[in-house]
Amino acid sequence: MTESNYDEIMQVLCDRLSSLTNSNVQITPETNLISQLSIDSIKLLNLIMEIEDTFDVSIPINALTDVQTVRELVDLVYKIKSAS
Amino acid sequence: MSSTITKLNAPLTQAFDFQPSSELQLMPTPTLNTLTQQLAGFNTLTSALEYAAEGVTGYNFYDARGNLRSILPYSALRHNAHTLARRLSGFNLPRGSRVAIVADTSPEFVELFFACRYAGLVPFAMPIPVNLGSHAIYVQQLRGMLESSQASIALANIDYFGFLEEAVAEVSHIQWAGTPGKLSELPALDVELQPNHPDETAYLQFTSGSTRTPRGVIITERALMCNLQGIVRNGLEIKPDDRSASWLPFYHDMGLVGLVLAPMVTQISVDYLATRDFAIRPLQWLRLISRNRCTVAFSQPFGLKLCTLRVRESDLKELDLSSWRAAGIGAEMIRPETLRNFAEKFASAGFDGNAFLPCYGLAESTLAVTFSKIGEGCKSIQVDSKTLIDKRMAVRLQADGRKQNEFVNCGQPLPGHIVKIVDEDGQQLSEMMVGSVLMHGDSVMTGYYNNPEETNKALKSGNWLDTGDIGFLFEGDLYITGRRTDVIIVNGRNIRAQDIEELAEQQPEVRSREASAFGVNDEDGTTTIVLVIECRLTSVAERQSLTTRLQQLVYMAFGVNCVVELVPPHTLPRTSSGKLSRFAARQGYIQRTNLTGQLSFVESGDR
Repeated sequence: MTESNYDEIMQVLCDRLSSLTNSNVQITPETNLISQLSIDSIKLLNLIMEIEDTFDVSIPINALTDVQTVRELVDLVYKIKSAS
Repeated sequence: MSSTITKLNAPLTQAFDFQPSSELQLMPTPTLNTLTQQLAGFNTLTSALEYAAEGVTGYNFYDARGNLRSILPYSALRHNAHTLARRLSGFNLPRGSRVAIVADTSPEFVELFFACRYAGLVPFAMPIPVNLGSHAIYVQQLRGMLESSQASIALANIDYFGFLEEAVAEVSHIQWAGTPGKLSELPALDVELQPNHPDETAYLQFTSGSTRTPRGVIITERALMCNLQGIVRNGLEIKPDDRSASWLPFYHDMGLVGLVLAPMVTQISVDYLATRDFAIRPLQWLRLISRNRCTVAFSQPFGLKLCTLRVRESDLKELDLSSWRAAGIGAEMIRPETLRNFAEKFASAGFDGNAFLPCYGLAESTLAVTFSKIGEGCKSIQVDSKTLIDKRMAVRLQADGRKQNEFVNCGQPLPGHIVKIVDEDGQQLSEMMVGSVLMHGDSVMTGYYNNPEETNKALKSGNWLDTGDIGFLFEGDLYITGRRTDVIIVNGRNIRAQDIEELAEQQPEVRSREASAFGVNDEDGTTTIVLVIECRLTSVAERQSLTTRLQQLVYMAFGVNCVVELVPPHTLPRTSSGKLSRFAARQGYIQRTNLTGQLSFVESGDR
């Protein structure tokens, strides 16, 4: 995978997050999913399903325990995508 | 992030290690057995497994895409558990020593659980982490359970071992921690495995993720078998052609007792989907039921809600749910609308509303207390709201137009068990009067492990268990109207108010006893957690920082959002002994925020 793939994942996730949360918060890589976007469990599950379907990956649940920001989520998806 | 990624590598290789050729050969264990069915007529779990192992049925594990990944017939479970028990014997632990197992939905967990029983050890299941950013808090939770249980051995598979390793680092009584793979490298001693006694502890069941005061329910072999008999004979009327499907976590009482142990003691097959996979794609559970013609499957109302939300018309055409005769519903307050919406949605897929089987139970009574009548569906009663609040009395609605509340009939106690309703002074109330639900019978726990204080709060004189729930009896049937204020149920998860308050009090700006947490419900029954803090901060930035931090901490620990309200000191109501009253705090919040229809009849103060 190249840098453009990373940017692509970032773009897709930012778009999804912005429609999922309907908030006025400008979503950047540093946006905190918990404190700034209030992603609740249902939204989180929806998001994971969309990520899995869009990028054809499987997100292990243990990995999410170290994710708090948009960048950390993108890093995780990128890492999994590169390993597959 | 890099350290996380290193840890991820191992599980990921496994996750992508598809073996299409072996998958093709894998067949689920059959529904019909070669063995005469015995309905929990055993003294102990191991004697039940010895019998089940004579047949051909067992456990089947499916992945997120619905492919069968592994099977564990009871015969193989018995064989593997024997071998693992001989390996565990090498630790020379005294009988009854505790073994902690992080319980994901896998054959390894079940094998370890039974290996412990064969080796005379007491297993207990620990949860897997489910929340964003919960790493540190999850490790604390594990450590709390390891300390409270004084466990000697701790196990987790490769996905979770990193967390376990962090947790055991500061726990002195742990003699060995490892993965199932590591355990299999240890020698198997050539010892004779001793039979267990019905009075021995079968397992511990932790009921809360609290880091400071975890409560491990002690369940004996006798209590377990008593409850299982009631469930499979009277509650479910299990028959030889039954088959179960489950997504319930193995670390919850309903998942473990209801959908792992109950099928085994009746020698029927089960199809498992991991909880995470269900949560993301709930329809996979229904597809399993449809494809394998399953007859018995339980869920919390939340699980049904997820299915109803996610299903598309095209899914309905592929599903045939007509085999599903017992759709057990429990583990949280049941709202009739949730069941009606599900039944309406899935009627065209052959779902029969009469399959709904509301029941009531709790881990402190092994699992089940009452079951409604099988095959009759969900029955409910409409009562007058005003009488309920003013007189704490359930009066059937006579005229239209008056405000009403509808409650689900949870049925009658299992044979040998009694339920009674009492007032604040412990005096028994008559039918239709609302009060605390107490129960008595052989399924009741011995106590909380190593925790006499909590045990004394729950077990009243004469061994009556105070369930912490509020309800009434009508014609012998139990109706639950709510929960006392010490537990908040959000999306099917029990969250102790005390645990949220403790999190808040750990912040430097919050003094002890100046935080109060409770739940409020909106019109469609969704529960929101409210955390009220008495706060001396005056700067807007500082107040905002505290609010944000508290929301984040609560999310990381419990996976839910909460409303934080900062109020001036001395706002929170206290009891005469200076204790905060959550009930009064909640009433105060509701008045401040003008929430309509929220003033509560369901709570009777704090335990």
